[in-house]
Amino acid sequence: MDHKMSRSPWVIHYDGSSCNGCDIEVLASLTPLFDAERFGVVNTGNPKHADIFLVTGSVNAQNLPVVRQIYNQMLEPKCVVACGICACSGGVFRDAYNVIGGVDRAIPVDVYAPGCAIRPETVIDAIVEACGILDQKEAVLRAGGDPLTVGGAATWDGGVELGESGFVAAAEAGAGDAPAADGAVAAGGTSDEPAAAKEAE
Amino acid sequence: MTLLYFLTLFPLVPALGMLLARGDRARDAVGLVGSGIIMAVTVVVAVMFFGTGPQSFEVAPGTSHVLSIFSSVIDVILCAVILYNAYKYRNALTGVLGVVQLVGSLAFAAMTLPATEAVTATPLYLDYMSAIMVLAVGIVGSLICVYALGYMKDFQAHDEHEAALRGQTAPDRRPQFLALMFLFLSAMFVIVTSDNLEWLFCGWEITTVCSFLMIGYTRTPEAIKNAFTQIILNMLGGIAFLAGLMFLHFNGMPLTISGMIELSGAGTAQSALLVMPVVLLSLAALTKAAQMPFHTWLLGAMVAPTPTSALLHSSTMVKAGVFLMVKLSPLYATYPVTGFMVTSVGAITFLLAALMAISQSNAKRVLAYSTISNLGLISACLGVGAPEAVWAAIFLILFHTVAKSLLFLCVGTAEHHIGSRNIEDMDGMFSRMPHLTRLMMLGIMGMFVAPFGMLVSKWGALVAFAQTGNVLMIMVLAFGSAATFFFWGKWLAKLSGVDPTAQNVEVNVHKTEWTALNTIAALLVLCCVAFPLISSGLVSPYLAMVFGRVPHVIGKDAMYLMVVIVAFIAVVLLTSFRVSNKPHVNVYLSGVGTESYRHFRGSMGHEVKAEKRNLYLEDALGEKRLGPAGSVVCCAIILFALLCCAWIGPERLAMSAPSVLRGKYFEGSGVVGIFIGTVAFALIAPLVGGLIDGLDRKLSARMQGRVGPRLLQPFYDVAKLLRKAPASVNTMDDTYMACALIFTVVGGGIFVSGSNTLLCAFMVTLAAIFVVLASASTQSPFAQVGADRELLQVMSYEPAVLLMSVGLYLATDSFDSIAVTGQSAPIVVYSAPIFLALLAVLTIKLRKSPFDLSYSHHAHQEIVQGIATEMSGGTLAKMTLMHWCETVLFLMWVGMFFVWDNPVSWVVALVVMAATYFVEVLIDNTFARSTWRSCFKLGWGVALVFGLLNLMPILVDVFI
Repeated sequence: MDHKMSRSPWVIHYDGSSCNGCDIEVLASLTPLFDAERFGVVNTGNPKHADIFLVTGSVNAQNLPVVRQIYNQMLEPKCVVACGICACSGGVFRDAYNVIGGVDRAIPVDVYAPGCAIRPETVIDAIVEACGILDQKEAVLRAGGDPLTVGGAATWDGGVELGESGFVAAAEAGAGDAPAADGAVAAGGTSDEPAAAKEAE
Repeated sequence: MTLLYFLTLFPLVPALGMLLARGDRARDAVGLVGSGIIMAVTVVVAVMFFGTGPQSFEVAPGTSHVLSIFSSVIDVILCAVILYNAYKYRNALTGVLGVVQLVGSLAFAAMTLPATEAVTATPLYLDYMSAIMVLAVGIVGSLICVYALGYMKDFQAHDEHEAALRGQTAPDRRPQFLALMFLFLSAMFVIVTSDNLEWLFCGWEITTVCSFLMIGYTRTPEAIKNAFTQIILNMLGGIAFLAGLMFLHFNGMPLTISGMIELSGAGTAQSALLVMPVVLLSLAALTKAAQMPFHTWLLGAMVAPTPTSALLHSSTMVKAGVFLMVKLSPLYATYPVTGFMVTSVGAITFLLAALMAISQSNAKRVLAYSTISNLGLISACLGVGAPEAVWAAIFLILFHTVAKSLLFLCVGTAEHHIGSRNIEDMDGMFSRMPHLTRLMMLGIMGMFVAPFGMLVSKWGALVAFAQTGNVLMIMVLAFGSAATFFFWGKWLAKLSGVDPTAQNVEVNVHKTEWTALNTIAALLVLCCVAFPLISSGLVSPYLAMVFGRVPHVIGKDAMYLMVVIVAFIAVVLLTSFRVSNKPHVNVYLSGVGTESYRHFRGSMGHEVKAEKRNLYLEDALGEKRLGPAGSVVCCAIILFALLCCAWIGPERLAMSAPSVLRGKYFEGSGVVGIFIGTVAFALIAPLVGGLIDGLDRKLSARMQGRVGPRLLQPFYDVAKLLRKAPASVNTMDDTYMACALIFTVVGGGIFVSGSNTLLCAFMVTLAAIFVVLASASTQSPFAQVGADRELLQVMSYEPAVLLMSVGLYLATDSFDSIAVTGQSAPIVVYSAPIFLALLAVLTIKLRKSPFDLSYSHHAHQEIVQGIATEMSGGTLAKMTLMHWCETVLFLMWVGMFFVWDNPVSWVVALVVMAATYFVEVLIDNTFARSTWRSCFKLGWGVALVFGLLNLMPILVDVFI
């Protein structure tokens, strides 16, 4: 496997509903002190240029479509890093009425990087981890395979949909227009929070 | 001879036919047959001309006398028409001028007609220039008449619809309209083939009155007002013409163009007197060519139906003015005050009209300003009176005729089908009217993009001004071209937008309109491709005949290269080979885009359309600011010339112009050399450029106190981009980007092979245009803003880059980069100020902070990457490669200033290049982004100050 992808990880950073603690740390990792550019990291701010999607904060009803659209506009091979505990699981906001949980309720996540707030070292570590997945995806792509069989997408359950009266698990809602639904192997069970439970609230 | 009579008189037949024919079908038949015959005869005349060469035709004195009486009668009838209209619409000023002209015409007739000995033996002629004009008028003019047949149906239908809404009926004046168009063609043929100034004047006045009647066609108050503006200004010119004729006759001078030129060579007291009539005739020509302060009539004339604008106000009638000046141009060198008047008025008009065009959003007004501006450049060239400049002027006339008529006709058709002539409403035209838009883009490219004819002519003009040491004109041209680039560029960008949801609305365009449009477009490409032939077959022989010297403006090899590139662009634009099969994706709209085209979910939950308007810079370049200033200055210049004639002894005004011709001619390295250079550049520049980029990033990191990326990081980035999955928001952007990369590489190849630096600079500009197209075609608002800024940056640095070539020329007497190696000292010694100007704009050109307005590689200031927003994968990789090549090329421009005929100099140049780049990185890391205003001010400021500083010595040199 060559490292064509991993040598140039360009990132895009999106703030779900973070308290901005993680955002500050994500940007801190790009500053001279932590110097993520050593690994070729460039903050592009544009999904069409980016390889790695850094999401901070939990995902709520308001930004669910936004996260999905940005993810869909990124071109394969691509990776998602959930930065901070809110992004990983919803954190302290997981029970809030409008919060659907971590980023993996919206899109497949490849690397979970916990912390409150996340430390810049963790961000860099997560990016390096994601680089390995990028390389794997690229190898699969070139072999004519489906990149969605690699990383988080392989075991993703489709997340949740915004239903008429609340959140519905995508697997139950018929996995309509959830991203990558046709390619993902809906294994379920990776999430410890069935979305249906939310709906009951 | 008979053919010439036939050519002149035949258009009257369809004109009469139009008046008699009833119904659309009869009119169509008359129009098509008439136009067809005119075109055929034109071609026959041209072919015969090639057989016989230039000749004058004798007319029997009796016939000639009768014809003179006839033309006097026509003059009087025309005055009557004017007076009738002045009375009907109660326009006092027109009345007064009409009476003056009537009295003048009668007095002149009374003076000349009895004097039978004054009858000229050969009042008609056909030389190279006339042949060019006959072809242009005959073919383009007839095609416009064909176009008018279909167009006027839509026009009338629209009028009737409007009138019906008001409960009235719209009178059908189409027969008169079409008849006037054919009458006009006849008058134009008279103008371009008459040596007898009396007859020429008759044709001149017919065109004026035709234009008057056609502008007033709709009879709306605005149309009537503008028609009277036109007639008043043109009658001033007509009266000046008449006064010139009377002066000639009064002093016993011949009433023919050839006679005047013969007389000027005599060097007698009588020949010195010629200065007055030359000034008066030039004044008449300037009014007809809509130069400042008379330009307002052409702007007002845009209310007329589009065929009028195309025929009279861009392609032919205004050309009558410059045609007369072409004929008088040998005299401008002999009588410097006349040359000064024509050149200065033309130069000021060229620059100011181009700037004012930037502030316009009405397509027809932009076209009008651009016409005025181009006629200004033509006049400026002609005023120089050197064959080099006249060469450029003739090509400007030819290409402007073809390209501008195409544009007018396209705008006319577009207006009927999208319901607006506002450029802002042409968003997404590429999808709404695909074929028409491509023709329009071709026309626009023909107007300003290298290597199409117009730009080649401008190039010729620049070379001519450099060769004749005309410093102020060099400056005006450098700035005027940059302004021209901006207003055409933003229009082109607007047109290029691909809108996948658009409805095709061009299905019911009339067949006659398509015929005319396609033929003129083909003609445009043909003219560009046959450009070397036209130069050697028509223009050079004409100049050899008139000036006794064949100018050497553009090398043969450069011409062939340009022919290839024109063909290439035409293929890219007009065929469908470009269609890419990448998966389609929507544009980026911050993650809130909806399924609808260019819509996003607003903060209040409803759908909003993302729109983007062009830059107009109205506060800086509005017509209210520039128009009056230009008019005042031009009035002053004209008055100065007239007062000189009146007060200073004529013998002191007649002297040979102090123009020193400079120039050694290198032929560059030839097509083969350029090809080898291009291959070498294509292989080496990306490697070197990528390495420079890597060093740049490493250096920046060190300046910020960090380790930074690996040295080869830029290569890793490109390798990565090439492996990304393909996707595109439209089918075009990748192709445009590929073109941009190719043109940059060719530009570099031209430079490293030691060929023409001007051609190299034009190639880089051409590449910039294609980047803008690639970006604007995506219809992403972010990318479009970036594209606008890119255009603005190009406009900012363009003058300094052109001056760089002039600086090279100044030192080496050649535009070829190889010439520096033959110098005994580096050219920076001669062109230090220009070198400084180039250094100052290098930051803009390398897109370094504070001028990374459109896109920065480091993206440390642009949030969504401006111009590159919608580019991904391979397309973005191409852009990166292109930037690397540009970096290498620009640094070589810097190095060029330090090379001389010593091998050590190459090391010096390398050191200077390295130092320059280091300073650029330093600047990049030190300054925060500035505004486009400061970019523009810096670019133009340094070019103006340092350019003038550097070039001034030549101006003084002549007198020492």
